[in-house]
Order: sequence, then C-alpha cells, then structure tokens
Amino acid sequence: MLKIRNFCIIAHIDHGKSTIADCLLEKTGTVSQREAKSQVLDDLDLERERGITIKSHAIQMKYSAKDGESYILNLIDTPGHVDFSYEVSRSLAACEGALLVVDASQGVEAQTISNLYMAIDAGLEIIPVINKIDLPSAEINKIKGQITDLIGCDENEILLVSAKAKIGIDELLEAIVKRIPPPKGNPEAPLQALIFDSVFDSYRGAIAFIRLFNGTLKTNDKIKYFAIDKEIEAEEIGTLGLRKIKTDELSAGTVGYLISGIKNVHDIKVGDTVTHAKNGAKNPLPGYKEVKPMVYSGLYPTNSDDFEDLRDSLEKFRLNDSALVYQPETSAALGFGFRCGFLGLLHMEIVQERLLREYNQSIITTLPNVEYYVYNHKGEKIVVDNPAMMPQIGEIDHVEEPYVKAQIVCPSEYVGNIMKLGMDKRGVYKNTTYIDPTRADIQFEFPLSEIIFDFYDKLKSTTRGYASFDYEYIGYRESELTKLDILLNGEPVDALSMIVHRDKAYDWGRKVCNKLKDLIPRQMFEISIQAAIGSKVISKSVVKALRKNVLAKCYGGDITRKRKLLEKQKEGKKRMKQVGNVEIPQEAFLAVLQIDE
Amino acid sequence: MKESALYVHIPFCDHKCIYCDFYSIITSDNIKPFLNSVKKEIKNYSSAYSSDRIFTSIYFGGGTPSLMEPGYLEEIIFFLKENYHVSDEAEITMETNPGTVNKEKLKSFRGSGINRISIGIQSFHDDELKFLTRIHDKNTAIETVHNAKQAGFENISVDLIFNLPGQTKQKWKNNLETAAQLPIKHLSAYSLILERGTILNKMVLDKKVIMQDDDHDADLYEMTIDFMEANGFHQYEVSNFALPGYECLHNNTYWSYRDYLSFGTSAHSFVDGKRWWNFSSLKRYISEIESNGSAAAGYEVISEEQKLNEYVMLALRSSGVRLEEFKNMFGDNWINKKYDYFVALKERNLVSIENNLLRLTKSGYALCDEILKDIL
Repeated sequence: MLKIRNFCIIAHIDHGKSTIADCLLEKTGTVSQREAKSQVLDDLDLERERGITIKSHAIQMKYSAKDGESYILNLIDTPGHVDFSYEVSRSLAACEGALLVVDASQGVEAQTISNLYMAIDAGLEIIPVINKIDLPSAEINKIKGQITDLIGCDENEILLVSAKAKIGIDELLEAIVKRIPPPKGNPEAPLQALIFDSVFDSYRGAIAFIRLFNGTLKTNDKIKYFAIDKEIEAEEIGTLGLRKIKTDELSAGTVGYLISGIKNVHDIKVGDTVTHAKNGAKNPLPGYKEVKPMVYSGLYPTNSDDFEDLRDSLEKFRLNDSALVYQPETSAALGFGFRCGFLGLLHMEIVQERLLREYNQSIITTLPNVEYYVYNHKGEKIVVDNPAMMPQIGEIDHVEEPYVKAQIVCPSEYVGNIMKLGMDKRGVYKNTTYIDPTRADIQFEFPLSEIIFDFYDKLKSTTRGYASFDYEYIGYRESELTKLDILLNGEPVDALSMIVHRDKAYDWGRKVCNKLKDLIPRQMFEISIQAAIGSKVISKSVVKALRKNVLAKCYGGDITRKRKLLEKQKEGKKRMKQVGNVEIPQEAFLAVLQIDE
Repeated sequence: MKESALYVHIPFCDHKCIYCDFYSIITSDNIKPFLNSVKKEIKNYSSAYSSDRIFTSIYFGGGTPSLMEPGYLEEIIFFLKENYHVSDEAEITMETNPGTVNKEKLKSFRGSGINRISIGIQSFHDDELKFLTRIHDKNTAIETVHNAKQAGFENISVDLIFNLPGQTKQKWKNNLETAAQLPIKHLSAYSLILERGTILNKMVLDKKVIMQDDDHDADLYEMTIDFMEANGFHQYEVSNFALPGYECLHNNTYWSYRDYLSFGTSAHSFVDGKRWWNFSSLKRYISEIESNGSAAAGYEVISEEQKLNEYVMLALRSSGVRLEEFKNMFGDNWINKKYDYFVALKERNLVSIENNLLRLTKSGYALCDEILKDIL
C-alpha cells in the first residue's frame, strides 16, 4: 500500500490537464505513443471536440521511481467545467493528492481557485504545476507569484512543465511519488470501498469505479451496497489500465472497478459504500452531497409520434449520466415531453447534442429555468420547475429563487465592465481581491436564473475573453418575480412562458414579441403576439396575414415536380408546432434565449 | 374514347433569357436529326395509343418553336395526324417570340394548320425587356400581335411577367392596358419565379438584383385579376385569363387531369396513370430514340394517394374541384374529412362552393399553395 499514489489533476479548462495526463500515461508506458490518440482519457466524441472532460475516469500506471522502487499511480480524471463540479468532488474523495495545473500565460482562473479550495477541503496534498512554460507568452515569475499567494507555498515547490514539449515530466512523476502521501487504511479490516463513479455497459450492466479505503475484495465475494440492502456477488473486479484489467483481488488504498451483475446503473449510487455481506463494515464511508439539478428545461420530440423513442433514449442516456433527471410532462403547445433537470447550461447543451448525435433524436427545447419556491397565502411552499405551473398571481404571497456565489477572475482593466454586467444581472457585489496587481478576483451574489442564459458569453465578450467564472449555490432568497405569458391570437403558449424579475418584465416582453414576429412565418390570417402578466398585456406585435403563396407556373406537364414541391412544403409544415390555429417553428421556442438585452 | 392532348417540345432558342430554366439550346445543329427522332418517337408510341383515344389539341412548346421553318412544324403535324386520331377541330398552338417571325412567316405557320398562337411578350416596357434579356422591344411586340391577327390567327394569347425587380404598380398596369388594347383572346400573367440554375438567381444571390416582397407581388396579382375581369377576361387558372370560349384547351387537359402524350427533349407524358419524362439533352434524346425507340429518362406510376393529391392540386389551381366527379373517382371519404376546413375557407371568402363546384376565389388563388399544404 505504501507504493500506491492516488491523485487527480485540477485545472481550468484549456490549461492542459488532458495533455499532462497523456504525457504521464506515455512516460510510464501505460500507452504507447501510437496508442496515444491525443487525450486518451476523453473517450466521448463530444468531449474531444469541446476539449472538456465530462465523465471522470480513472487509469492505473506503473512507475519505477528514482529510489529504485516500483509504484502504482492511480490517476483519477476530473471534469473542468463548473457544471460538473460535483463530479470533481467525487474524484477528490478518492485521492490523496492533486496536481494543480496553471497555464503559464493565462495564470490563475476562477475554476482553478474553486477546484483548489475543494481539494484543500478534502485534505489533499497539492502539487502546483505551471504548464506550457515553453510558450513565448509564458510569464513564469508572475504566475509563480499568483500561486504562492493562493496556496501559501514556497516558490520552489512549483513544478515547471510543458506537456507538449515533454519538459519536466520526470520531475512531475517524482514529485507525485515523494510528495503525495500513500493511502492509509487496513487491508485486514472490514471492507469499505467508495463508489466514485459508474458507467453502463450494455453487456455487463453497471460498472462501478471504486476506491478501497479498508479491507480486501476478492472475485466472487458476497458483497452488499449500503444503499441497497441486498446480497450480491462481485462477479468481476480489476484495475483500470487503458482498458479494464481483470484481477482476483483488490485491497485497501487501491482504485479499481467492480461488476456485480446489477443491470440498472441507478441501483449503484455514486457515493455509496461497498462492503462484504458477512462481517462487513458497520458504517459506510462519508458519502458526498447528492447531485441536484440546477437548470430545468422541457424536452419535446419534434414529431409528437416520437415520444416513446425519446423516452427510451433518455432512459439509456441516464444509465451513463446519473446527473440527468427527467419526468414526463405535457404541454398544450408541444404535446408529450419531459421536464429535465440539468447541472447547468453546458450540461443541458451536451445532453441535447448527444441525444441528437448518438440517439438520433430531434428535439425541441424550451427556455431553461431554475427551480422556484412559491409561497401562497396559506403559507404553503410550492416548488415550481416549469413556468407554466406557476400559480395565479392572486394566490401568490411571495416567490423565492436560488442564489449563487460567483467568483470572477479577470485582468484588472475589466473590473468596470464586470461591475456593469453584474448590475445588469441583478448581482449583489460583495468584494474584490487582487491575485496580483494585474488580476482581480471579484465576488458577486447572483440569482442563478440570471447566469444560466447568456452570462458566460456576455462575460467573455465584455472582457475580450479574459475573464473566467465559477459559482456555487448558496440558497434561496425572496425576489420580485412574476410569470410572463406569451399569447398567440389570445391563447397562451405554455412552452413560451417564463418567470422574470418584475423590473425586467416589460423589456423582456417587448423583445420577445419582436423576436417572435420575425420568427413566426406569415400565415393565412393575422397573428397577434402578446406578452402579458396575468391578464395585463404589457407588449404586443403582429404577424400580418400571408397574402400570396402560389407557384405562378405549373410547367407544361411536369406535374411531378409541382407535386414534389408541395410535398416538400408539407414536410416543412410538419416540423412546425400547432398552437390553436397558429403554426410555430421550432426556433421560436428558443428565441427567448437569443434575445440580446 | 378518351380525350387526350399531344405536346411537342422544340428545344431550340437563339439565346437564353436570364429567368428561363426550360431546356433549350442555342445552336442550330441537329435541327434536322431532331425532326427525324421526333417522327420516330411519334411513330413508336402510336401502336399503343392510337386506337383508344381522340386527341383534341397539339401544342408546340419550347424553346422557341417559331424559330423553325413552317414546313418543319407542318411535317410534325402531318405526321401526328397520320399516326393518331387527331380531332378535326383540334386546337393547335405554337409558342412564338416577337422578333423571330414576320407576317409572311406567320402566314405560313397559319397555313400549316396552327390555329392558336401564344406570344412571349413578357413586357411592353423596353427597360424591362432589356432586363429580361429579350431580343424584342415594345414596338416589335405590338407589331407581332397585329401581324399574327393579319396572318389569320384569331386565337391569340400573350404572356406577360409581373413583379419584376423595381416594377411599380403603374408600370405593370401599363403593361396590362397595352395588352388589353390588342386583338387578343387570352392572357397569361406570371409572377416572376426565381428558378435555381438561372442567371437571374445568381444575380439575386450576388445581390445585384433585389426581388420585390410578397405583399407587392400580391398587390400586382390582385390588380391583374381585377383588371382582366373588368375587361371581360375571366380567370380560369392561377395565371391564366381568357375571353369566354377561349380557354386553352390544351392546358385544360393538364389541369383537369386528362392524359397527354408528349414528344421531344424533356417532354413529360401522362397516360393511364403513368407519367414519364424524356432526357433533356438533345444529343442524348436523339441517341436514345435511335437506339431504343424511346427517350424516357424516368417514370413513375402514380399511387392512389398521389392521384388524389395531384387531382386536387390541379383542380384548385384552375377551374375548381367538381365534387361529383371527385367522388366518382376517389369516393367521399376525403372530401367529408376536409369539409369543415373548406367551410372555414368559405367563411373567409377564399373558396366558393356552388353547384357542386368547389373553387378558389380571387384571394384564394393567391393562397392556393398555402391551402394545399393544409389539405393534402
């Protein structure tokens, strides 16, 4: 056990986490150069494209250190995006150390800080690493200053690396062995293994990734999960190389996988503890907080007939993404669909895109929203995750919405812009500290709803891409919120309703009306578009009646062509959603997302 | 005996107009071989279709059929009559373009048996004609109509195009007024269509030309209908107007879903529920006819559902759905299902339902395709 090191890499997106991981794998001979399709750990297409790791994985390396000993290094990968910070906390729980990677020209970013604090909270040994030191724009001394200020370490503890140019990798491996403590625990004690992740394999069922803290697990052992009190068998166990490597035994301190014939991945709760069915541990390991969706949106099949297909796809999808929650709902406008909860906007986009790419599902997404607490006059709390379900104005006593604490790191010349953006987004300014004289760390409290749409884009554009941003949930607060309905020819379109702050309602109403006017094609009758709060119309626009749609010439005998033109037009019509007598194109349902404030 | 129509496509033109996407070629090579192939094609189909039907019209389309020598078309007419049962009163139309025919030539065409002439005038404004890259000017256009009349054509039709880029209401009205003063019996007024592959389309894509919006198009269209009706021409199809008794027999064959047999490059035939179309390329057409006797590039057998769709589509575009005939052909299931929708359209004055005839009104015609999208 003294020869085991469990560690993870924490870094801001694009600071080179994956490249460093690849480098370590290659250096330790875990993968050959030829095998090293760049960024081995990211095996979903989408991850590779977006350069973000969505699902955490683990991989084992064997390393012969300078002290002549052979060590087992378990690298547990962590996702870099704020939406997935809960996955970071899982991974951290399985490690004793973390490499804190900072880009030599970008410096410390918001995510670096937030992940770092999580790692420190988890009691991990931190090895600071400056990556990309070979870039002409590298400012090594400045970044060293930022890091020492941040974690209070000595400058010479910081490793200088270029994963691309293969500089400093040996030193990095040595530091992992020397500075990260070996795992503690007793292989003879009752078994306690933490499930830090799981995936679904269509042949083998649920595969749990485990970190053994105490005890020893052997193939065919009778085991149980604390969360489901049922005796099962450890059908297969092993370690995680580039592929799964079957072994007969895993013992305290190590990381591996466990297949136990569980078909439903949801029976395997990440954070749960595995122990032996007989003479097992009395208590589970401390789990970590339950993942809670932050952003909700309606997902509807473009073609109503595909509802069952969408249900199947979501079910399959969830096998590998326990963070996704959904339940069926019905919309007058869109028919049968699902209200889905996501970790954040990026998570939502990824789910949509993967549904489209991997499951071939064409879907309409409604405007994302957060979960509101509505209190009625009787003092009852109603949880509203769909604006359409908002009680009537007269019944509402007050409404609460989730707030987050946000941390924005940016060059100091942009502080003014950030302040303005913060005010536009109903932010409550808290504090500014300086990481170094040129870099500010600004703290705000925001309603979550204000940052789920376009906050990140706005932030990037107002700081020429230099700002980074992270947030954590801090609780519910009362706000002056109201439901804004959109009516087409007098009929409310439930899928277009939204909950907005009273001060912004008029502006939003006007913008949505104008946007919809451009997006809804002219039809055989005039369409009035209204934005209303309760029964009060606050804004309106009109789509004038279509006056002409007829092909002038029906070509000499070429009826086939004309018929095909018509069939094509009809196909286009099918893709529209019918509300009352109005046909609404799919884009309209997301129009509100693209409204520029 | 089934009443059917005959069509002959003459692909030759002296140049290509910017808006045209019909198959045409601008060389005069192969004029003679084409004639031979057309005659072969006529002959080859006659064994199958000569006995069971009577042909009530012949139509020479193009291309510019009037570029041919009158004897050329005469030979085809003669050959058609020799191989098929063509009615004595058959309507025989030739498309012509001003600038390709003088009075003498028109007389010869008339003498060859052609009794209806459709003149592609498009506009009486020189700037518009220039924009459309037509070879004629206003005066030639007017003169051609008079020449045709004097050459013995009593049944004269002219084609005009509206909603040209920059065309004002007044300018279009001038075109209509000029046409109405000429000795014509029929007028086709087409809204400019942007076809893929045309020079005009490229000009629009390159933003060298800006098309006018749909509302203006609708204004011009309504104006056309009002003007023509006021001058005694009734609308019997989306783009076609005729004095009583002068509706185009041939086009009505298409629109009332009767059979037609066609010859020449890119010609479409529709016989006994089957549609086929010839190769567009002149060389390919000739070689196919020479080697196979047929130049069909493709065909489709129209399914029952397609039949219903096509029937409704064509009938609504033209003189309306005769409900009795429709029920005889397709049963009354469909019509019963759509009845409420038609009543709603009637309330909005888009269709009229009278004497078992369901037809579009003036504003209905303008929305024909929108309505078809809803019902088919």
